[in-house]
Amino acid sequence: MGPKSTRNPLPSPAVIADAELVRACRSGDMLAWRGLYERYAPLVHRFASALGVPSDEREDAVQDIFIAVYRSLKHFRGDAQLSTWIYRIAARHAIRLGRRRRAREAMRLTMLKEKPATIADPSERSTQLATLDRMLGKLPPKKRTVLVLFEIEGLSAKEISDVVGCPENTVWSRLHHARSEMVKAARRMVS
Amino acid sequence: MTWLGEPQDEAERLVREGLDRAKQRVGDEVTHRRVWAKVAEASTMPERVSGRRWIWVSAAATAAAAVGLFAYVRYYQAPGASVDIVSVAAGPATTESEKSEDPGPAASASSGSAQERQENQLAPQESERGPGNVIRTRQGERVHVSLGGGAVAELDENSAMTWDAQHRPTIQRGIARLAVPHQPPGWRFSVTAGPYVVTVVGTKFDVRVSSRTVGVEVTEGVVEVWRNSRATRLAAGDSWQGPLHPDEPGASASSPSVPSSPSTTSSSPPAAWSPAERPQPVAAPTAVLATAPAPKQPASVGGRSSPEAETALRTGDPAKAIDLLSKTAQGTGAAAENAAYEMARIARYQLHRPRQAVALWDRYRTRFPTGLLRTEADLSIVETLAQLGEVRAALAEADAFLARHPQSERRRDVQRLAERLRAAQAIYDVK
Repeated sequence: MGPKSTRNPLPSPAVIADAELVRACRSGDMLAWRGLYERYAPLVHRFASALGVPSDEREDAVQDIFIAVYRSLKHFRGDAQLSTWIYRIAARHAIRLGRRRRAREAMRLTMLKEKPATIADPSERSTQLATLDRMLGKLPPKKRTVLVLFEIEGLSAKEISDVVGCPENTVWSRLHHARSEMVKAARRMVS
Repeated sequence: MTWLGEPQDEAERLVREGLDRAKQRVGDEVTHRRVWAKVAEASTMPERVSGRRWIWVSAAATAAAAVGLFAYVRYYQAPGASVDIVSVAAGPATTESEKSEDPGPAASASSGSAQERQENQLAPQESERGPGNVIRTRQGERVHVSLGGGAVAELDENSAMTWDAQHRPTIQRGIARLAVPHQPPGWRFSVTAGPYVVTVVGTKFDVRVSSRTVGVEVTEGVVEVWRNSRATRLAAGDSWQGPLHPDEPGASASSPSVPSSPSTTSSSPPAAWSPAERPQPVAAPTAVLATAPAPKQPASVGGRSSPEAETALRTGDPAKAIDLLSKTAQGTGAAAENAAYEMARIARYQLHRPRQAVALWDRYRTRFPTGLLRTEADLSIVETLAQLGEVRAALAEADAFLARHPQSERRRDVQRLAERLRAAQAIYDVK
């Protein structure tokens, strides 16, 4: 019979707290890092989708966000929830990508005088999603981020203010305007 | 209370349904696993200098540049001076300002030899290596530019260098002599010249861009010149030349180009053109800029290496996608490997043919026993067999996985699965 290992490095990543996971990640524990990734990958994927990262860029975006998370873990002080902190990184990255994408599109339109054909991802052929993406696409990035964090991600106004770095009142104001613009856009579509 | 929980009209219902549906858009397991493979790989890369340190480094560099410029204007206005470009702005690493940096009758305040200056110079920040920044040299000027990751370019007179949208250094015109230190495993350094991308692991080479041609001459090491999805490999002593505008009529006839027929002046011609994945150092991780990672995993189907297959899949024709990918898979390199893996994935998740998927994954690992996606293929086989109820085969695969990947971070998952499979085998006496 082989020697029994008495070491019990980590319980299942599914049951350990974020703080413990972060601590283990910082010490270079790849299992913990994998646990953190698995815990937050769906969230980041959903958030990036809702912020308008197109399906063909999403995988790269999620990858880059997690690499940024990994590289910055040592700066995570634990003042905010880990999820809030990840949302902050993801939002910044998604907005940056959006800016680049718009610049590229503008350049393309200027050069080609025509809009390139876009093909929808078959996994996202849902009418509801397509409609939602069109409506969200009409919102300015700041309002969109707040609406997505509140309505899709389920964050509180306080948490959103931590993510986007603005006062709570501003969050409520942006949310109010975003909701109103969404409904207006929907009415235009319906009519 | 949920906003629009009780929609009053069709428009409100649309919004509510969309939001509810968006909550479920969490990506599929295979995508997460594939992304993890790349994240885990990148996580083991050596970390670059942090942003905060850069602020101080840049501030010091700014001061040094200002002093250097003053000193030059004051004392060294002779043409032909060799110049070092140092960091000139201390903006945040994420700034994407549009600016042009023209060293003019460039200056150097550094003392000592050119080599010493080069070693002491500071790498430009991300914002300075971003798209839109241009470094130009005039008649009689030469400039040393640090490209990050220890790579240095010496820009000859009448040359211009910028950075493309992927933050790759781009030689616009003239001659650049590049020295690239050996990159960490899996990482490549890329330089763009016209329609070509030159990728290296660690070497010294020259890139020349004239009004008609692009040339590459290798002094040390090995480089690859890419255009679209094709590449040629050049070893030390090799040189290569292609037209700057290969799509123009007559360009390929007068000057054979990538990818149709590369012209090399090597005594021993470089490797033949082979289908391979075009390097895509896109969206470099925040801390990594000029040194881009090796070609990334494709976004959905075999990726950018198989755009036709991707289109076929997106337009709802997975069978055609597999057909197209199978052609790519017959080749070599990363594109072939990705294609071989993706065929199985499509069979499993698009065509819902798990047995065919297992066979294709098995074929993948036979062809690419040490491939990047080997672990994923093994895991996929275990899971698919388990889902098919083929307990014995799944168990054999699980045991093989544990033996083959003793350090895998998925080891525990597979161990748990193997335990469940053993229990099922004992209870139901399944074959």
